[in-house]
Amino acid sequence: MSTTPMLEVRGASKQFGGLRAVDNVSLSVNRGEIVSIIGPNGAGKTTFFNLLTGQLAPTEGEVRFLGQPINALPPHARAKLGMGRTFQIAKPLIALNALENVMIGSFLHSAALATAKDKAMAVLERVGMAHLAARRAGDLTLSERRRLEVARALALEPQIVLLDEVMAGLNQAEVGIEIDLLRSLHAQGLTFLIIEHNLKVVRAFSDRVVVLDRGKQIAEGTAEEILTSPVVIEAYLGQGHMGKGGGVSLEPLQQEARA
Amino acid sequence: MSKIENTMNTLVTPAEPAAAKPPVARREVIESPQRAWFKYLAGMGLALLPFALLSNDAHWVNIIAFTYLMGGLAASWNIIGGFGGQFSLGHGVFFGIGAYMTAALVIRWGLSPWLTMVPIAVIAAGVAMLISWPTFRLRGPFFAIATLAFNEVAFVLANHADSLTGGPRGLMIPFKAGFANMIFRERWQYALLMFVFAALVIGVCVWLRRSRLGYYLLAVREDEDAARAAGINVLAVKLKGMALSAFLTSLGGTLFAMYLRYIDPPTIFTLPEVGVKFALLSLIGGIGTIWGPLLGAALIIPFENWLRAEFADSLPGVSLAILGLLMVLAALFMKRGVVGALEDLVKRIRGSNKP
Repeated sequence: MSTTPMLEVRGASKQFGGLRAVDNVSLSVNRGEIVSIIGPNGAGKTTFFNLLTGQLAPTEGEVRFLGQPINALPPHARAKLGMGRTFQIAKPLIALNALENVMIGSFLHSAALATAKDKAMAVLERVGMAHLAARRAGDLTLSERRRLEVARALALEPQIVLLDEVMAGLNQAEVGIEIDLLRSLHAQGLTFLIIEHNLKVVRAFSDRVVVLDRGKQIAEGTAEEILTSPVVIEAYLGQGHMGKGGGVSLEPLQQEARA
Repeated sequence: MSKIENTMNTLVTPAEPAAAKPPVARREVIESPQRAWFKYLAGMGLALLPFALLSNDAHWVNIIAFTYLMGGLAASWNIIGGFGGQFSLGHGVFFGIGAYMTAALVIRWGLSPWLTMVPIAVIAAGVAMLISWPTFRLRGPFFAIATLAFNEVAFVLANHADSLTGGPRGLMIPFKAGFANMIFRERWQYALLMFVFAALVIGVCVWLRRSRLGYYLLAVREDEDAARAAGINVLAVKLKGMALSAFLTSLGGTLFAMYLRYIDPPTIFTLPEVGVKFALLSLIGGIGTIWGPLLGAALIIPFENWLRAEFADSLPGVSLAILGLLMVLAALFMKRGVVGALEDLVKRIRGSNKP
């Protein structure tokens, strides 16, 4: 296997009028890695994601996928190359049932209904939703909708999956289930780039963490390094929390890390 | 193991038995092809019933013929308007291409509509793609308004291109009865022709609903961003859907011209009678469903005929007002039309039968 990173971003920026939403961010994700992007609200995480998936075009910088520049490719072409994604606000196709939602993904590589259906069913089984196959996506719960999005992305038979806050709004039990699911998918060889708000989730399963704040990349490292980094704590909690609030709020996470 | 992880593990377990349940649902998750085509045959058989019962009544046969034709046209519209969610009000253009070109070729060169209808429909599909290319950048009501404008442009063109369309005087197809000319002595023969057209369009819809293109149209209707993320070329899918829809609409235009044998701009391009009518029938019957448009036609076309006959002298135009009111009511209270309301009813009955 080559040493080229699977996904590579060099100096990506995105300017919206007077606002530089993403400012000179560079990042690479290697095959089999799980890389997380964290940052406070409005840090530019989702904008950065959209530069990778092609929903937005970068003002500057280059995105390479599987060694090939993809700046000019529209989102659907990136999906064909092997990039699956979910959206921060889940976008289930509510008039279709869960199986059909996943088939929308599996049709990408199988034109025939029967094949697409079998593949979609296999994906639903993989994510533990086979019993919901006939349910209309509009009738699913929030966590089921999120998982359905993951399933639709998996049905594209992707090389990398980009998850945009798939845990947001889920309760602790549901978060636990999702973490288990992602771990098992990772064990099956998938590469992940995730945006996550929940630091506990990040520490549970990231090889590397990149921190964005106001569009800039302020830190990169392992979860442990990031969680104890003064720069990061300051970005999250504001100045003056170091040693006091910052230390306290991260304490449970560090305890958990030892367990 | 920490306490937190412990609770997590116990909380994870509820998902396991659910996943272990056999994934076989009581009803098929996706209809089998046998079932889909059986339903198609049964439905078309049912649609043929009124014709079989009333084939001796010239007045009713005329209404039935129009019902089949309008049902087929509404079902054609429904491909892009219902499945694809692109609310076109400009389908009169493709209908007009079918009607005018067929009539012109019969009158000038005596070409049989059987030979010309398919090439003409291909032209209509080409025109549809050409004018849709820029229009598909618009979403929702803006798309609808733009397509409305195309219909008006077609009206003006038909009025002014005298040498091709006969201008305001219109085109008259001479009566030369014979199968080869698609001109029949008996109305029931036309009614059968219209039935075949409706059966063809609905057959295409049954096929489409089970094809990749059909699913992609639904995905585009539901959420374009999600569709793109699933590897769907949204513009290409819309263009394909529009081309197929326009192709079938043009075939309907050919049949319309051969049935009436006289066409002029108001007959072809009057919005409430054509462009908007296709959408209205689909809305009332059930937009985005296979049988909705035909059912809508079966309910509205005879009703409209009766309204016209009843109020033509006393209250001219009242039929339009009543149809408009029906459309508003359907939009407010039956978002999925009659078919949707029936489906809900069946669900409720099934649900109440369960313990």
